[in-house]
Amino acid sequence: MLRLKSLGKDHCGALLLLALGAGVLALGLGYRMGSLNRMGAGFIPVVLGALMMLVGVAIGVTAAPPGQREMVNPLPGHGTHAGGPEWRGWLCILGGVVAFVVLGQYGGLLPATFASVFVSALGDRNGSVKSSAVLAAALVVFCLIVFHYGLSLQLPLFQWG
Amino acid sequence: MHQSLMDLWYGFGVALQPSNFMWSVFGVLIGNLIGVLPGMGALTTISMLLPLTYVIAPVPAILMLAGIFYGSQYGGAIGAILLNLPSHPPHAVTCLDGYPMTRAGRGGAALGITMMSSFFAASVGIIVMIFLSPLLVEIAFKFGPSEICSIMLLGLLAGATMSRGSPLKGVAMTIFGLLCGVVGTDVISGTTRYTFDLPDLADGVELGALCMGLFGIADFLVSVNRTTVKASDAKVSMKDMRPTRAEMKQAFWPMLRGTMVGTLFGAMPGTGPTITTFIAYALERKIAKDPSRFGKGAIEGVAAPEASAHSKTQVDFIPTLSLGIPGDAVMALILGALIIKGIQPGPQLITEHPDIFWGLVASFWIGNVLLVILNVPMIGVWVRMLQVPYKYLYPAALFFICVGVYSTKNSLFDVGEVAVFGIIGAIFLSLDFPVSPIVLGFVLGPMLEENFRRAMLLSRGDLMVFLQRPISAWFIGACCLLIIAQLVAYARKLRLTPKLREPAELIAE
Repeated sequence: MLRLKSLGKDHCGALLLLALGAGVLALGLGYRMGSLNRMGAGFIPVVLGALMMLVGVAIGVTAAPPGQREMVNPLPGHGTHAGGPEWRGWLCILGGVVAFVVLGQYGGLLPATFASVFVSALGDRNGSVKSSAVLAAALVVFCLIVFHYGLSLQLPLFQWG
Repeated sequence: MHQSLMDLWYGFGVALQPSNFMWSVFGVLIGNLIGVLPGMGALTTISMLLPLTYVIAPVPAILMLAGIFYGSQYGGAIGAILLNLPSHPPHAVTCLDGYPMTRAGRGGAALGITMMSSFFAASVGIIVMIFLSPLLVEIAFKFGPSEICSIMLLGLLAGATMSRGSPLKGVAMTIFGLLCGVVGTDVISGTTRYTFDLPDLADGVELGALCMGLFGIADFLVSVNRTTVKASDAKVSMKDMRPTRAEMKQAFWPMLRGTMVGTLFGAMPGTGPTITTFIAYALERKIAKDPSRFGKGAIEGVAAPEASAHSKTQVDFIPTLSLGIPGDAVMALILGALIIKGIQPGPQLITEHPDIFWGLVASFWIGNVLLVILNVPMIGVWVRMLQVPYKYLYPAALFFICVGVYSTKNSLFDVGEVAVFGIIGAIFLSLDFPVSPIVLGFVLGPMLEENFRRAMLLSRGDLMVFLQRPISAWFIGACCLLIIAQLVAYARKLRLTPKLREPAELIAE
């Protein structure tokens, strides 16, 4: 019996693919299938979903047990996946994008710019509120000159709704 | 031959038109500049500037994108050699010998050699492109839907299995990319597929959003607080960049061989640039008199991979433009940009849009000359750019990504897509899945589906049509060969490691 501990990256990946493939299949079967001669909208997605599940099974079966997995040599200096979860960084980066979307809608270009840079910069452990704010302010000025006046971006500087 | 030279002359005329020339210079400069920045590869740079191409005419747009591509390749080598930091995977090999050379105080010479071999290799690639493309076009005119399908299949399969990491995972990612391409309205029946009732998805996933999510945000997510970039203390001035006569002599043949490898692999659709540089490096090591020198600062280990990368870059444009089959993710992006501009890549491109094709070829040369001229005096600036800390870099890049995606269609929904693809990409990356096959699948997906359905319609649902037509049969045969080669490699690995497996399995049970 496989213990949960032996669920390596490959097994997780395989499960993810199986789930994805199953989801694609479930939705795809709702579209018209048609025949090989005259394919409906659902034909290709269903085939792809099934293929994805197949590949998932193949990855799961051929996966080396964890502990002696061969390393895909990571690029030097690039994110080695070691270390615990980096919640602060993750939340701030995603928060930065979300802030841009939300404030772009309910605020305008300048607030969105400031918020996206400020929030995402907070994700770095060496970053402080002050340095993030300075960077954000600098980019607001840059944005005003280059994107608003230079490239006349459609988003108004300030807007509500 | 004579015709090709005449066409090239015409191309120079197009490329030197002030507006085209300006955008080309701009692309080269920006590409080089951003390529130098740690963690910013060609893919990130192109996807960040992709929106800019929507507002300019097709010819300058393509010239600019191509300029960004090879410009960032020049820039990437600088980071690889001076900092041991490859911003673009193909440069990973250059680190192996380039960085030891920097530590030994010969970093400048390594850069000089890189620049020379890059320029030489690019020139060879361009010449091959000039003479091979018209030939390929003649063949390509014989292509029907079934041939296009089989060659796309070959390209996807090669792209999936010949990149870094596990081939099966590459295949999985290609399928994922194809599925992303399915999202939106089905052109034949008008059904909306996988849109989850979101009207914004009816036009499909935005190419820029997908790329920036997968290569921008996902990369930030994976590397935030985890990059260990040491500031470089290397000081390189213009004087240092001149290699000694002995070094030039040593690098000459590796440069030629690297160029050959790159040219050969560039003409094959689907083979990525990373594998090409690895092969060029392995070849040098194999034929070297003293292989132990490699990894300790052998100049051959810098010259050959860099040369192969650059000749491949140029030759890669042949299948991309004349067949519509991109060699790797960067080419897929350029192809996507062409399609957005309403230009269908394929055999008709060279005859219908000679300004694009020959203008591009000529601009390659102009761009490469510019890069050499630029890089020598600017080297001091680049070295200082390398020291920009990551904590300033990624928030700024994140903002550029948001604005860039927004400006494509003035849609904030697309910016949201970036976040989603960022999460997806980060999950896949952390599970050791390669993400670049996704782009390949995404760009080729709709074309593949359309041609497959057309081929089936023509053959009345007979799958054998792919084997009955000779050109198509060749491609299918090549696909089978690829799969067999992978199976053999897997079987050999199993046979070599049974002893290692047993104890591990015992523990697991």
